[in-house]
Amino acid sequence: MNTIRKSLVIVCFAVAVALGAWQGARVRHLRESERFYRWILAQSTQTRLFAGDTDLSEQQKLDFELYYEIVDAADTAIPDLPVGEDDYDADGKPMRKMTIAARDEQYSALVFDLASGDVLAKQREEFLQYSRERKISSVASEFDPAAAYSEGVNVSLANIFFGFRKVAANFIWLQVDKYWHQGMEQRMIPLMTMCTWLDPTFVDAFQLGAWHLAYNMTAKLPDTPEPLKVWNEKYKARIGEKELYYYIAIDFLKDGIRKNPRNHKLYFDLGYAIYNLKMKDYDNAVKYLTEAVRYPHEVWVPRMLNISLEEAGRYEQALAGWETYLKRNPGNLTAPTFIVRNKGRIKEKQANEAAERARNATDPQAAAAAKAQAETLRDEAIKIYESMNQAGEDPFAVGRIMKIKADRLFEEGLYLEAAAVLQNARWKSALLWDEATDMMIQAKIKGNIPLDLSEKKYVLRKEEAEKYKQAPKPQQQPAPAQ
Amino acid sequence: MPAVIETQKLTKVYESSFRSQDVRALQDLNLTINPGEIFGYLGPNGSGKTTTIKLLLGLIFPTSGRMRILGSDDIGAAAVKRRIGYLPEGAYYPDFLRGEEVLRFYGHLYGLGGADLTRRIDKTIETVGMTPARKRMIRGYSKGMRQRIGLAQALLSDPDLLILDEPTTGLDPIARKEIRDILSNLRDQGKTLLISSHELLEVELISNRIGILHNGVLQTIGTVDELLTQRDVLIHIADPTGGLIAKLNTAGLQVEDATATKMVVRVPENLSVYDALEICRAEKATIQSIAPRRETLEELFVRVVGAAENKTLA
Amino acid sequence: MSEVASFVRGTWTIAVYTWREGMRKKILMAFLILSVLVIVGSNFMTSFLTQVTPGSEVDMEVKQMKDLCVTAISIFGVLITIFISASVVPNEVENKVIYTVLSKPVRRFQYLLGKFAGVQLIVILNLILMAALFFVALYLKERIMPTLLLWSTLLTYFEFLIVSAFTFALSCAATSAVLPTIAGLFIYITGNLTEYLKDVFVRAGQTDLWIDRMIGYISYGLYQILPNLQNFSLKNQILYLASNDPPRDILLPNLIAYGLLYAVAGYLMAYWIFRRKEM
Repeated sequence: MNTIRKSLVIVCFAVAVALGAWQGARVRHLRESERFYRWILAQSTQTRLFAGDTDLSEQQKLDFELYYEIVDAADTAIPDLPVGEDDYDADGKPMRKMTIAARDEQYSALVFDLASGDVLAKQREEFLQYSRERKISSVASEFDPAAAYSEGVNVSLANIFFGFRKVAANFIWLQVDKYWHQGMEQRMIPLMTMCTWLDPTFVDAFQLGAWHLAYNMTAKLPDTPEPLKVWNEKYKARIGEKELYYYIAIDFLKDGIRKNPRNHKLYFDLGYAIYNLKMKDYDNAVKYLTEAVRYPHEVWVPRMLNISLEEAGRYEQALAGWETYLKRNPGNLTAPTFIVRNKGRIKEKQANEAAERARNATDPQAAAAAKAQAETLRDEAIKIYESMNQAGEDPFAVGRIMKIKADRLFEEGLYLEAAAVLQNARWKSALLWDEATDMMIQAKIKGNIPLDLSEKKYVLRKEEAEKYKQAPKPQQQPAPAQ
Repeated sequence: MPAVIETQKLTKVYESSFRSQDVRALQDLNLTINPGEIFGYLGPNGSGKTTTIKLLLGLIFPTSGRMRILGSDDIGAAAVKRRIGYLPEGAYYPDFLRGEEVLRFYGHLYGLGGADLTRRIDKTIETVGMTPARKRMIRGYSKGMRQRIGLAQALLSDPDLLILDEPTTGLDPIARKEIRDILSNLRDQGKTLLISSHELLEVELISNRIGILHNGVLQTIGTVDELLTQRDVLIHIADPTGGLIAKLNTAGLQVEDATATKMVVRVPENLSVYDALEICRAEKATIQSIAPRRETLEELFVRVVGAAENKTLA
Repeated sequence: MSEVASFVRGTWTIAVYTWREGMRKKILMAFLILSVLVIVGSNFMTSFLTQVTPGSEVDMEVKQMKDLCVTAISIFGVLITIFISASVVPNEVENKVIYTVLSKPVRRFQYLLGKFAGVQLIVILNLILMAALFFVALYLKERIMPTLLLWSTLLTYFEFLIVSAFTFALSCAATSAVLPTIAGLFIYITGNLTEYLKDVFVRAGQTDLWIDRMIGYISYGLYQILPNLQNFSLKNQILYLASNDPPRDILLPNLIAYGLLYAVAGYLMAYWIFRRKEM
């Protein structure tokens, strides 16, 4: 009796441990699948949005290879998904099913099923193998401190925090804040990367970190003069130290986006705070703000998108955007103003196009017709702008009216008057400054009116910038012979 | 009627890392306890009494040998344990509970419950005389009170067999008498009691049979009457004379407590009282009293244990 | 049927008794008060942060609070668990009350199960208390019901269950509560570091020495068998309901089953040690 009970206990214990180990294997599989799933999301975002931005490193090439394998393998397993109007990649081809599925939250379960199931088993094994050997970037990035400690196979340092990684990240963030208020900006950088390494879902760290990098690091630096800028192979542009920070901020935000691809905040910061305000790259701003709007977002995000569309010169899209926005938010006060504004802009653009046609027309009759059309459109534009002045003088409207006047004077060859109007106009509306200054200087040159000193400097700067832009890119050093 | 407790060559060896330091707590114990008797289980400290009890209750496990309790080989069976009440030595009870809560706890462990349990609790508290203090925390009890509560929990299931380890040690004389009376009553109700104690007088007063244990070996076992057989006769003599003493000594009679005014003569069993009286009459001694004297348990105890000691030393 | 009923009743009696005894320990009160302080204080953590951007201020505060409170509950909870699991049986043996209990019609299996159940009752109650405080604090902050907190607490409990079971097992072999308490801490730390065994066996075998390969095999075996408490790291992330996260409904029941299996193994180990223990 005793021996029976003894053996029963031992057998039950062995069975419990064996079952526990088996269950542990299943849990491990699920956790590895989760890593794989996150990497798929990251890589799909990379493929969809960031491909072509910079040259690929060896690691990134492997990432892409593996991702394309996955896309092919999963094609049969995913049901047909609706392809939206902007679901096309840079080459104009429709995006693959996997890429579309990975973008939207509603397909999360589907992607995770694929990630944990048999369809992608081979790719999953490859992924785990490569990430163990650190051959792929695997949701990590160039901002991964652990990479510094790796020599082939590496030990995951993050596990040493016993699952208290998030709290550690929070405490380190307090230190970042302390350094910021003490003005020790340089010390903030390694700490910020540490925060995001410990807790990749720490969206605010990415957001504020990029803000520090782009704005605060560079606040005391002057714009680098053209001759001092150097060609940066990675970013394919001539940049100085100040501009380099912008690019680093962009990389940081892209890293955050890869790790949190469905959070609108990071897209918004990238599109508006960096590309629009700092880099004045309105096309990229529109690209990322469009992404931001795709996910649950704050109420002001579409406004920034529409403003960026206007600044990029896409007035029709901006107008459509504002009208949709007003329909969704009927109480909004800024939308009506912008609708009118964009209507005016469209008219103005059409007028300028007509004037251009008039200038280039060989047939005098066509030229006259185009000119007449331009005048009509300009009148309409002025009327639209004047309607903006009803509630009080709107500087933008006033500025644009003056600009139209200046356009007319310019075309009639009255350069002095045009310059005078533009001189006045650019003080009315800050948005008009660059445009008006440019045109004023052109007018002065055409009219043989002497430029003052600052205008001469302006012209010289632009000529130099053009020179560097046209200069041939420095040749890549040939690879050293093996 | 089958024996209540029956052991056959029950042995317990506490093993240590070195064979030479093994402790043989109990060696080939053959013990039989009959129903309806009070059995006094005696022995010096470390003789194996508590070991025997723990073996019987399943708190420790025998090295070899067999045990039967209440006719069953399975001493751990619930049916068996329900008929046993145990009062351990030292009076350790959960001190964060009140008196009656403790009893309720033990009652539940016995498988009792509801109104039945409440009735039993009331009855046992009454029996041990703890009614005024039943609602107080055990922490506030004196040693005597704890012993009483301990006795109450042992009686809860109205057991057929009661095992009591030092039930009256450390109690005042009145408490001792009361407990003695309770135990006698229990015996009269037909219960069997196994009492392990140092208090030889108490044991002598109430036990039917006794056993003396020494170094794990049962030295003597039997009824009190069987064991305390030595019946000397004591003659108290007043005003003894020197010649009397000498004559008595020659005759093989022991003289004890000789003072100027009186003397006690012990006539061993093998010698005739009348011979001693002849000598006294011849010497014209004044005889105050003649009385038989039974050996006390203490004397027996000392004798048995002493003999056992000598045997081990020899 | 009545056998089952009496089994359950005996076990339950001991469980309730253990619970009553355990809840009176002052040190539990100390841990609870500490956790209250941390939970309330986490609200003020972000007053250390003085620079904000619109929208991130409240988010940052909430994140700080959530992370810190989950950590506090983990730390204090595991300390309570270890302390209680390590002390119930040795204390009873030490104060000799166990003689009066085991001499009753109670099988050792029943007794041990009752003790273990009592320990779990105490752990669960303390966990519920701390989680309730956290719940209230979060609700006051975010103004929505943080129901995901329940899942986080549930996972935390099953993590504690594993630690509790093995600490309990070790306590059955000990004579005082000190050693099992230290062992319990050790078990918790080791359980969290099991992940490193994987790195060991991946790196092993690089030289051809047999001992190198032996270490590789041994660490592989241990990695498969030993409970890995890092698996429960979901409890930190689950509070956020981030849209990037994969669906949770698969991992949760698997983790619960994992916890239960190892708890059974730990309890059986305890029973194996206790069944022939001499009192």
